[in-house]
Amino acid sequence: MKNNIILDGGMGTMLQAAGLGLGERPDVFGMKHPDVVECIQRSYVEAGSRILYANTFGTNAHKLEGTGYTVEEVISANIAIARKAAGGKAKVALDVGPIGELLEPLGMLSFEKAYDIYAQVVKAGAASGADLIIFETMTDLYEVKAAVLAAKENSTLPIWTTMSFEASGRTFTGTTVASMALTLTGLSVDALGINCSLGPKELVPLVKELRQWTDLPIIVKPNAGLPDPATGEYSMGPEEFGQCMAEFPKLGASIFGGCCGTNPDFIRALAKLPEREDFVGTAVQEAENDITEVCRKADCPSGQNTEYTGKRNLRRGVCSAGQVAEFGGLQDSPRVLVVGERINPTGKKRFAQALRDGDMNYIMERAIEQADAGADILDINVGLPGIEEAEMMTRVVKAVQSVVSLPLQIDSSDPAAIEAGLRACNGRAIVNSVNGEPEVLEKILPIVKKYGAAVVGLTMDKGGIPETAEERIDIAKRILDAALNYGIPKEDVLIDALTLTISAQQKQAAETLKAVRHIHEKMGLHCVLGVSNISFGLPERSHITASFLTQAMCCGLDFPIINPNQKEIMDMIFSYRALSGEDVDCAAYIERFAGETSEKVTTVSVAEMTLETAVLKGLKQEVANLTEKYLETMSELDVINQKLIPALDVVGERYEKQQIFLPQLINAANAACAGFDLIKARIAGRGGESLSKGKIILATVEGDIHDIGKNIVRVVLENYGYQVIDLGRDVPVQTVVEAVLKEKVSLVGLSALMTTTVSSMQKTIAALRESGHPCKIFVGGAVLTKQYAMEIGADFYAKDAKASADIAKEVLG
Amino acid sequence: MQARLTELNENEILLYLGYRGQEYPAELKEQIARCEKEVLAVSSPRLIWRRLSVDDANFSALDLEGKDIRELLEGCREAVLMAVTLGQGIDRLLARNSVSNMADAVIMDACASTAIENVADNFEMDLRRELEAENLYVTDRFSPGYGDLPLSTQRKLCAVLDAGRKIGLSLSPSMLMIPGKSVTAVLGISEKPKPLRKRGCESCSLFRSCMYRKEGKSCHEK
Repeated sequence: MKNNIILDGGMGTMLQAAGLGLGERPDVFGMKHPDVVECIQRSYVEAGSRILYANTFGTNAHKLEGTGYTVEEVISANIAIARKAAGGKAKVALDVGPIGELLEPLGMLSFEKAYDIYAQVVKAGAASGADLIIFETMTDLYEVKAAVLAAKENSTLPIWTTMSFEASGRTFTGTTVASMALTLTGLSVDALGINCSLGPKELVPLVKELRQWTDLPIIVKPNAGLPDPATGEYSMGPEEFGQCMAEFPKLGASIFGGCCGTNPDFIRALAKLPEREDFVGTAVQEAENDITEVCRKADCPSGQNTEYTGKRNLRRGVCSAGQVAEFGGLQDSPRVLVVGERINPTGKKRFAQALRDGDMNYIMERAIEQADAGADILDINVGLPGIEEAEMMTRVVKAVQSVVSLPLQIDSSDPAAIEAGLRACNGRAIVNSVNGEPEVLEKILPIVKKYGAAVVGLTMDKGGIPETAEERIDIAKRILDAALNYGIPKEDVLIDALTLTISAQQKQAAETLKAVRHIHEKMGLHCVLGVSNISFGLPERSHITASFLTQAMCCGLDFPIINPNQKEIMDMIFSYRALSGEDVDCAAYIERFAGETSEKVTTVSVAEMTLETAVLKGLKQEVANLTEKYLETMSELDVINQKLIPALDVVGERYEKQQIFLPQLINAANAACAGFDLIKARIAGRGGESLSKGKIILATVEGDIHDIGKNIVRVVLENYGYQVIDLGRDVPVQTVVEAVLKEKVSLVGLSALMTTTVSSMQKTIAALRESGHPCKIFVGGAVLTKQYAMEIGADFYAKDAKASADIAKEVLG
Repeated sequence: MQARLTELNENEILLYLGYRGQEYPAELKEQIARCEKEVLAVSSPRLIWRRLSVDDANFSALDLEGKDIRELLEGCREAVLMAVTLGQGIDRLLARNSVSNMADAVIMDACASTAIENVADNFEMDLRRELEAENLYVTDRFSPGYGDLPLSTQRKLCAVLDAGRKIGLSLSPSMLMIPGKSVTAVLGISEKPKPLRKRGCESCSLFRSCMYRKEGKSCHEK
């Protein structure tokens, strides 16, 4: 049986040798010189390539802009060339590389726009008769996800993907091998692997790692060794390349080719490769007969209502691009993964307010807080009456993953919101949740399957939550059966046996634990519980919560959904991990607790310090304590106006006189914030209207992504008591105008860092004036001066954050 | 030659933070030390460079415009194109701290600016040393956007270096480099030593945004 599939080798250097000029587009060159490309590709077929990569690597709307060619004509021409070169002896792949512009959050290209660009390429490739689609040399998992979704939703062709890694095992954007494997295996591509980046020797550990996380066919297409940095020449010859490649079939790879620095001689050397030893034979059929079959992976055992557990002993988990939360084994080596519950408006007035205001900063802070406190996964719930849930889910998922790299759990009962969350998630997520109701299962499980997510099943149905453990177990079985039917393996089904409040239904705690034990031990499934509900309505809740948590973990709970900011609860998790053996040598436990007693808390007694000193020194806790003290005798407004603001004014003055540094000004503002937060929470707690001295809109203008200056201004203005609506960076002119009209603000701040983007600042100002809205506009940014600011039509020039506070005071009081 | 990130110059960090002779309290020193550690932990400095004859088609493809670059390369038969970056880890660190701790973010930004200058300086030093052995001399380094060398040169420079594929450096449509802490430059190679200009304003990457210049001063006059 012949299992290996041989791909082709390098194209770029051969085209250059054949006359491709630097900066010239290879795909356009191919259209002008079809014979040159055909000749190279034919030499690959003669060398044994069974799949030719069409000369379409960089073909997309973004890169072709200004060339006068359309995506469709370039792709169709180059596929035709490859088809001719193949002469019936090889299949032709639509070869697709990165778009050439970085995606959000670091870049400016949105995920949705990237999808559109790839969708056009995919459609053109399918229309031109490509046999399969290969995404290669990718470095950004988010971009790969957009590409794969575009391919799945716009064609029926097999999809292969390869990414480029550094020796560290990460791509330039920080994607790990495991994250790639989990995400793409979840998305059901047909084969995946590694290309370019390094030589075959350096790829060995990466391919080993990859094999542990996926059972799909693995592609290895390395460079001819490492390049000489000065000359760009690669170090390996064909023979050595072939010898090194012989390692990969042993590691379970079965699809081979060459990338930079390789030529037909290298491909010839691959013919001698041994076949994959442990070959499972699911995907790769008899390669000699019909190679199309080879390209497509075998379907999941859909419809087989069995204990489907995947094909091998794979490592499993959920992930972001850069971080994996690995699931424990179901019977041995269990692992507790903490799911942070704080991104959820239920019962949280302040959070609900943030959702209504679209205040992503508040939500991002909650994400960072939980990450710092030790959460492994973040639950995201944005369900709130009056909020368009799917749209908000996309926004919040994107915001959260721009500041933390934890995997996510998409928490909703609305199929549209679930799909929106899974789509926007850069990685592989958990869906929370389905229940035993057939209608719910039918709607949501196909979405879970499509995005390759794991899923939480609540043991309840139309009849509500059953009182006995046995009935809940029955529902769990129903959920598992349904999941298996959709091809979701049992390792990805997490059952929530539901926590009820003991102050209302005391006997239920035992039933829940009984159900957890059975589901874990007898059914062999992962268990989820929203733990804190157990103590609702009782004093000193954390005692009950912590105790219940421990008992539940002993029964098999491995996905506790908790508030990781509660130290006592997290202490319990760390203790449990040490006792269960998961925390090897108690290393994490020791790291958490060693030195804790020796660390003295050096809060100065409130009596000895004025608020001014506390703010000036940036001491948050002290500011909060003092604020609390003042609130005993003063109104909230008085504390703000007579204490907090004057303290900030002193700091501002010292900064202006260049007596202190900017970070000290911000430290002080942060400390004052502790006081403001306390007051805000108090007012929100009694349902009062928000205490704001006025609304200000801030934006970094279109085309500009350097927003540190704008962020400083935001922090300072907020701490002076203004409500800031931060539109973010790279904000289109129209968005600013719409926001100003909608929010009826009287002050707008615009920031631009580069000369190239000051022009869009000018456009934004012009559009605001044209709208007839009477708002005042202040501008700031590295390249601006007062004169320049006036020239482009601003009302004020803010040379720094302090100046913007002065402007706000002048305009809003 | 490899990208080298060596010890950061504390004075330079303070300069980025707007040093004007302020008191430098111990708390701030501690905060800077802590931030510097975090910046170094997420930095993965990368370098790509090419040595080209000025007659090479690749070099002509750069289409270098302006009086300044002509002067720099006068009498040079070869040139070196370089790009260095600290990688995306810094951008993520800054984004996160811009939300959770702005003061730290400002300091980290200053540390990272110092760090990327350090990597660029180290490359320049290594290059000088290497070429000395061939009795060749290296001019100052000159970046797109300095003097009258248009910022749009950036795109061609990155294309010739294949900087996206080689070190993960990409450009936004408005020519911003991502990762943010990156430097690209051209250096001339000459057979005779050329007078290196004083590290003055025009060859400083802060040229456009320098707060001293806004006040009509310069940092070396301080």
